[in-house]
Order: sequence, then structure tokens, then C-alpha cells
Amino acid sequence: MLFKIAIKNLLGARLRTFLNVLVTAFSFFLILFMSAMYNGMLEHAKQVTMDTEIAGGAYWHPKYDPLDPMAFEDAHSVLPDEIQSLVDQKKAFPVLVSQAFIYPGGRIMPAIMKGIPAEQNIVNMPTEVLFARDDIAIPVLIGKGMASDTKLNVGDSFTIRWLDVNRTYDADEGTVVHIMDTENFKLDMGHIWVPLEKAQIMMAMEDEATYVTYEKGLPTVQDKGNWIPRDINYLVQDMEAIIEADKPGAQIMYMILLALAAMGIFNAQVLSIFRRGKEIGTLMALGMSRPRVVALFTLEGGLNAMLAAMATLIFFGPVLWYFGTYGIPLPLDYTEMGLIVAKRLIPVYTIGLIFSTTILVSIIVLIVSYIPSRRIARMKPTDALRGKAVA
Amino acid sequence: MENNSVISIQNLVKRFPVGGDFFTALKDVNLTLSKGEFTGLIGPSGSGKTTLLNIIGGLDAPSEGQVSVLGKSLDNTSHTERARLRRKYMGFIFQSYNLLPVYTVFENVELPLILNKVEPHERESKVKQAVEWVGLSDKINSRPAMLSGGECQRTAIARAIVHEPALILADEPTANLDAENSHHIMKILAQLNNEISSSFVFATHDEKIMGYLRRILNLEDGKIVKDENIDAPEFGA
Repeated sequence: MLFKIAIKNLLGARLRTFLNVLVTAFSFFLILFMSAMYNGMLEHAKQVTMDTEIAGGAYWHPKYDPLDPMAFEDAHSVLPDEIQSLVDQKKAFPVLVSQAFIYPGGRIMPAIMKGIPAEQNIVNMPTEVLFARDDIAIPVLIGKGMASDTKLNVGDSFTIRWLDVNRTYDADEGTVVHIMDTENFKLDMGHIWVPLEKAQIMMAMEDEATYVTYEKGLPTVQDKGNWIPRDINYLVQDMEAIIEADKPGAQIMYMILLALAAMGIFNAQVLSIFRRGKEIGTLMALGMSRPRVVALFTLEGGLNAMLAAMATLIFFGPVLWYFGTYGIPLPLDYTEMGLIVAKRLIPVYTIGLIFSTTILVSIIVLIVSYIPSRRIARMKPTDALRGKAVA
Repeated sequence: MENNSVISIQNLVKRFPVGGDFFTALKDVNLTLSKGEFTGLIGPSGSGKTTLLNIIGGLDAPSEGQVSVLGKSLDNTSHTERARLRRKYMGFIFQSYNLLPVYTVFENVELPLILNKVEPHERESKVKQAVEWVGLSDKINSRPAMLSGGECQRTAIARAIVHEPALILADEPTANLDAENSHHIMKILAQLNNEISSSFVFATHDEKIMGYLRRILNLEDGKIVKDENIDAPEFGA
């Protein structure tokens, strides 16, 4: 009986229902969209890291610690046979890492110098620009952020000073051959990339490397010497730790969005229910009991949420799909801020997000329908019939 | 008489809090109404007509005294029991119609039947009959906004009588209507009183109604000052 009346009320009150459903659907959309943007940002950061840096995993020299530049000095050796075999088969590439100082525009700056094979195509970096050229002593690839910090442009030369394996300082002139536009700040900030062979000569570390990155889908080799295999899970754990550390922030953002949505829905529902005081009085006069009045309005709220879910799909589904497919261009380059944020952010809608949002918004609608209807149903029927305002 | 009584009121007092004090709206009212009566509560504004009607309808509770409607004492009944009494045995007609604006005439009239869980096919025939009684068959799918004041009130009457209740309470049913519509409405009600033998109680100060009433209770300052039976009403059906 109540269901029938609730359906009639909803369908009968065309504009009121439409507005209520629209407000709720818009709230659905906002929460889904913002949360999906956030998910997309995190997912993108992970994906970019894998695409430009990690590939299928790496083998590290036992003394290599990417967070300790002082360790770079000792973190190099000839590759173990099986790892070298991967490199020979072009399924992996070695990188030699060392500390350096650069002197752009007469200023001294510490830098991490990484030697990388120009021919590698395992990670998404424009290393082909590092192929040897007769007119350039050391071709250097840098990122946009680094270029901005050092005020270097393509073709600019600057002095590079380094400490070789014999603990002797040496220096030569590097020339910027390309400025890469990467979203991974870890390849950019404080980094200069030079050809591997060049780096090995500069450091007097022939055939040596600090770590080897291999392509996706390869199993761990048996004979890896004392080199340490680092799989994707290990290499993205920092990123995951950042994501994990950011979870409370994400949850707070989600709660704020939910609270904003709740306020919008609450306003719409309260206005709608309190305006219907006379209707409630009439229903009571016709013999509807108070609990049934409350149940009716709460049920209407529930149906409202269901309609809103459908309306979200119909009205905002194409918008969500469009952004999910083509992304949203961001006006700022966040790389310089040390953030891996796409220039086109693509929201990621997970089943969990859609499900939890639907449940939460539905619960909110039920609560904000229940509270005012309970209050108005407590009025004396005679007051409700007169359309007396609820205190 | 007692066995045939629809309403029995003894020593009824109703007070309303006003500021820090109380206003007594009804003072020591005693009243018995029998089955099939067509009674008017007459009096000026503030005389207590609507308050008495609301108490009879179980919409308001007495401060003192005993009120029994259709054999049920309203003194110790819960809200839910009173709601059930209204749903099963009473019909209400309001001055401002109180139709649900989003419902059609059919749906408004159908509502008491839905609340009483009447089967759909039976509902349809009862609604059509009630709408026919009040002469609104051609407007059955119209919404209240598309109806005149008289048509709205006729819809409200159809809603009040559709489940053929034992008691119909009408609060100023003609106050918002012109003379022609008022007479039309009263003729319908008088005719229904004869056909479905429901008891009617009107709260009114509309002179036009008086000619239809078979019993007039005059209220002044919350007291019944005159109880008059009219054997041959001027516009009797």
C-alpha cells in the first residue's frame, strides 16, 4: 500500500520529484567524479612510474640505495652473466648511477648523473637522442623541471664534474641535446642522463652498471650473483606507501563531498517534506497512522535515491564516460612540484567506488527523509492540516 | 437511542495553552448524535465549532470529559487506534478541500480505499460510483489545479464518502464557494445522507447551509446554547 502511494506521489509530483532526483543525481555524480579523479591520479602516478622507470623490474647492485647518493660511489660492478645475457638480448638495459656537479650559468649544482643506453626501448624515455655525436663531448638529456631550475635550453653547454672510480675528479663539457617532457619527476628533478658508454668511460667503470631494468613479463634469472632482484611490487612500494599515507586525506575528501551532497539532499528533502505539512495532516485525517506517514516519506526518499541512481546513469553517465575515456586537461604542470600528475587526468571508476557511493548516498537520502518526516508526523494533525510551520 | 448513537459526549472541556495561560475553547459540552443525523454546529468564529469537530474526529484530544464515537471511547485510545477509527468509519470534508495536488480526481477519491486495503477492481468501481454521485465523471482524470472551487469540494466529498463511512465531518464545506455552488454541494450531501445513511456533522457559520440541516446546535463561547431539531428543513432532500 505504502509503496503504491509513494510511487504515485513521486510520479505525480513531476517537477518536485525531478528537482529532488536531479539534486541527488548531481550529488552522486560529484562524489563519483571527484573520487574517480582522485583514483585516476593515483593510478596514473603508478602507471607512469612503471611505464617510464620500472618496466618489469630491476636487478640492483647490492650496495645501491637510490635514497643515499653517497652509496653510489661503491654501487657498481660488471653484470652477472645471466643478467648480461638479458642485456645482450635487448630484454634489459643497464644504468650507471653516480654523483656529479654541474655548472650551468656559472652556478654549481649537485646532480645525479645516470648513464643509460641510447638504444633502449624498455622504458618510455627519449634516450635515442643520446646517440653519440662528433660535435658534442657529452650529450645530455634532462627533464623540463631540471631545465627550468638550471635555465638550460637545448644546445646549451655546461661543465660536468664527477669523481671517477679512482677517486679522481674530472670534468668535461656537457651539451643539452633534448629536454624531455616527462610526468615522472623522479627522472627529471636533479637528474642528468648521459649515454651509458660515455658514463662508463667518464667513471672508468667499463662494462659496469648500478642497476639493470628488464622488460615486463620476464621471470627472475637464476644466476644473478649477489645482485638483488627488485620486482614491480618492491619498486612501486614507495608509491603505494605515498598512496596509503594519503588515504586518510582521500577519505576526508570523500567525507567532505558526501557531507556537501548530504546537505544538498537534506535541503531539498526538508523543503519538500515541510512544504507538504498540509498533505501529511490530510493523510492523518484520512486515517494514516504516524508511523505509516514516516514510513511513506522515508520510502519516497528511498525511491528518490533509486531514481537518482538511474538519473545519474542517464544524465551524467555520458559525461562520466567521456572524461573516463578522454580525460581532463590540467592547466598546471605539477612535475616541478614533485608530483606525478598527468597533463590529462583520466578518472578511474572502480566497482567498489560506484557500489559504496550508491549505498552511502542512498543511506543519506533515507536518513534525511526519515528525520524531517518523523518530526512533522509528530505534529498534532490539526496543526498539520492548517499547514502550521514546524518549529 | 444510546444503541443508535454515533457520537456521545459528556462534560467535554478543551483548553489550549496561550502564552503562560490557557484559553478554554469548549466548556462542559454534552451531546449525543444518532445514526443518520444531518447536524450543523453553528456559531460565530471562535465559538468552538472546529475544535469540537476535531475532537469528534479524533484529530484533537479533550482536556476533560468523555468522548465516544461509534461506540469507541476516544479517551484512552492511541494515535494509531484513532487513525484506524478515522480510516474505517469517518470521512472528512475541509474548508480548503485538502486535495492532494499531485493526484487526479480519481486518485484523490481512491486514497481512503487504498488506506483501507480495498482490492483494485473494487476500488475502481467504488471510486467511479462516488465520482458519479458528485457529478464529476467527466473530470475524473483532472488534477485539482484544473478544477473550480466547487469541483474541488465535490472531489473532497467523493473522497469522504467513497468508503461509505458511518460518520462524515465537514468543516465549513461551503465557506470558499459562491451561493450556487454552496447549494449544489449541500444538495449532494443531503442526498447522500439519504442514500448511504451516514451521519453528517457540519461546522459552519454559513447561513446558506441552515436550510438543509435537520438539527442545529448553536455554540457560543464554547458552549452549546441551543439544540434545535428541524422536522422539515427548508431545502430538505
